[in-house]
Amino acid sequence: MNVQIILAGIGGQGILFSSKVFSELGLKMGLDIMGSETHGMSQRGGSVIAHLKLGKFQSPLIRKGNADILYSFEENETYNTLRFLKSRGICFVNLESVDQFNKSIMKFLKEQEITFRAYDATGAASKIGSTRSANIVLIGYSVGTGLVPFKYEDLKYVLELVSRKKNLKINLKALELGFKEGKLIGKNP
Amino acid sequence: MNMRKTGHEEVRVLLGNVAIARGIVEAGCHVVTSYPGTPSSEIVPAVVEFKKELGLSTYIEWSANEKVAYDNALAASLTGKRAAVAMKQVGLNVASDSLMSSAYTGVIGGLVIISCDDPGPHSSQTEQDSRFFAMFAKIPAYDPSTPQEAKEMVKEAFELSEKFQIPVLLRPTIRVSHAKQSVKLSPLKVLDREANFEKNPERWAATPKYRLVLHKKLNETLQKIRERFESDTKWNYEVGKSRRASLGIITCSVSFANLMDILEELNLKKHINILKVGTPYPLPQKRIADFIERHKKVLIIEETDSVIESQIIDKSKVLGRLTGHIPLEGELDPDGIHNILAEVLRELGIANLEKITDSKLDKLVEKLKLQVRKPTLCAGCPERAAFFAIKKALPKAIYASDIGCYTLGLNLKAVDTVLDMGAGITLASGFYQAYHQDGKDIPIVATMGDSRFYHSGTVSLLNAVYNNARFILVILDNEITAMTGMQPTPGLGITADGSAGRKIPLKELIKGCGVKWIKTIDPYEVKNLVKLLKEAKRYTQRKDGGIATIIARHPCIIRFPEVCEESPVKVEITDDCNGCNYCLDFFECPALYFDEERNIVEIDRNFCVDCGVCIDACPKGAIIPIKK
Repeated sequence: MNVQIILAGIGGQGILFSSKVFSELGLKMGLDIMGSETHGMSQRGGSVIAHLKLGKFQSPLIRKGNADILYSFEENETYNTLRFLKSRGICFVNLESVDQFNKSIMKFLKEQEITFRAYDATGAASKIGSTRSANIVLIGYSVGTGLVPFKYEDLKYVLELVSRKKNLKINLKALELGFKEGKLIGKNP
Repeated sequence: MNMRKTGHEEVRVLLGNVAIARGIVEAGCHVVTSYPGTPSSEIVPAVVEFKKELGLSTYIEWSANEKVAYDNALAASLTGKRAAVAMKQVGLNVASDSLMSSAYTGVIGGLVIISCDDPGPHSSQTEQDSRFFAMFAKIPAYDPSTPQEAKEMVKEAFELSEKFQIPVLLRPTIRVSHAKQSVKLSPLKVLDREANFEKNPERWAATPKYRLVLHKKLNETLQKIRERFESDTKWNYEVGKSRRASLGIITCSVSFANLMDILEELNLKKHINILKVGTPYPLPQKRIADFIERHKKVLIIEETDSVIESQIIDKSKVLGRLTGHIPLEGELDPDGIHNILAEVLRELGIANLEKITDSKLDKLVEKLKLQVRKPTLCAGCPERAAFFAIKKALPKAIYASDIGCYTLGLNLKAVDTVLDMGAGITLASGFYQAYHQDGKDIPIVATMGDSRFYHSGTVSLLNAVYNNARFILVILDNEITAMTGMQPTPGLGITADGSAGRKIPLKELIKGCGVKWIKTIDPYEVKNLVKLLKEAKRYTQRKDGGIATIIARHPCIIRFPEVCEESPVKVEITDDCNGCNYCLDFFECPALYFDEERNIVEIDRNFCVDCGVCIDACPKGAIIPIKK
């Protein structure tokens, strides 16, 4: 199996942590990992993007139109990173309401048969008192929908492995919450 | 950490720099020194982690600067131990004096220099190619394509260094240093070596006459290394042996990895043969010539400059940077390589590959006119407070600054120059002398961080004092090296592995440079800092005056958030705000934004850290503390 994932957002949204989760997940699934991260100056409030390739790859970077899955934790960063997504790819966007998304770009995504899932992960995360966990909520949601080739149990295992002690409980809660909501919606809303 | 064990083999997902650290540890290296700088900063912390995990006795040092780091590593090598020194590419400029000389005198224990390049540049002042430094100094270079390869190359670099008694360079680019890969680990080499410096003044204190002899020996050594690289098949190898392929590509570093994925995806392998070069200097000339011989045309794809290409003797069949086929600057990303390939394949009539251009989507996104998120100083950053006060107290001064988070003082229009480390002070003294010569004494403010002052500030400052320069020096002392990831400074008194070091107080150091006027203040007290800056200016103009130094001390709010949480000043914006935007333009705190609907400035509580400094930033007095 080869899967290419883009994680996008701004500094402080847990992009690097999410990247760690997916790379350890890949390892758990017996796949090779290759990817790339943003470190340094751009972490001071700039855009942060992580490329992650699970399977047989040599280059750490994903080319335009090649990503299978895009996770975007912020609306504007979605517009900036959609170009990585292939036609028939899937994107999960942290968005209060799908109505706020640009209409002409939405039309383009439909033409490309791209599955677009907007989900208010920040809103959901605030219900468990931790807006910082929106990243894990969104990841849980994606697994719940059944649209991505990852298992809830594997993710749980990985979170137990990589979370800091003080964050573990809330991370597992966030995963479970997202997963349940994703499952309610399923593959075809 | 997650591990996958197959038989005796352990696999971990490692950042490139962590893989390099693992290579250092697996090689049994005894001493590791470094000065932090993107993209190299993660190497030393990873060595510290491995040291703890594996119970090693490695000596690890954050040095005051790169030259200091180099010399300390070199000395360990002269005692027979293995040593590694890591830095970013411009750090090698600082260490180059020692590098050039030690190439002649050589080493005893293996000495590996890791210089991380930054094509782009993402976080640097130049795009310089460290491989040219290897060529300039006449030392061998390894150029890895992936984290796994970087780890293996580090180990071989140590072996080569010891066998030929020569320093060896490893040149990872940012896409290797900050790549992430599932890496196979190997057991550690245990090398019990006691320090044993064998005196040999003829070599270690060589006079110019003997330097000629050493130079001749160095050239002979290089020839032997070149021969070794000629027969090496681990780092220099061909992919594809298609007889029908008329195009050959010689490539290296991450460009090789990018190219391989592109050829696979586009099914172009039958048209193109590849020669991957992992040892760009000294170049295996015969292998290169043989590869060129077997193809009609050969394209050279290398980052960042033309190191391989310029060494090729017969270039008649070669396409590359020197023939205009490869861009002269910038990073070679996969889409860029795709377009180079499309152009060359069309030119040679091999295949018709469509170029990657702006798609319909790109045009739609462009119409949105999204704001580019530029880096800013954090909300609550003490450096913002200092810059705001400087701009307010001395609006017409020349602002000479330096490399660090405070380069972002550009956003507050309080930075006029950023050259390199230490130049905050040296340019300030140079500006002073150039104006003073004409009988003009204009206000000049130099700004420099604490880590930078320890790096190269003292020599710059004592020179300025000695030569009677007059300006204001503001040391932005946040007690840490913040931009590169919170490495300790000599002022903090903690060493690389967390153990205690001897604290070097800034004030004593500045005094020792001969400065007579030194004041310390918390920049959060903006009004007092403005007053102090004006007083400093008067001192620089006094007959018996000189350089005035202000230590603006407040801990970095990212590293020491507890300091801010101790006494929060929660603020609100009153109806007096008329939306003049002064605070946004001249204070530019990410926690302040313009509310388009209400036409006033508002506070984003997600960012605000309750520092309360913005109270002084509103000319209308509309930002006030919330009464408890």
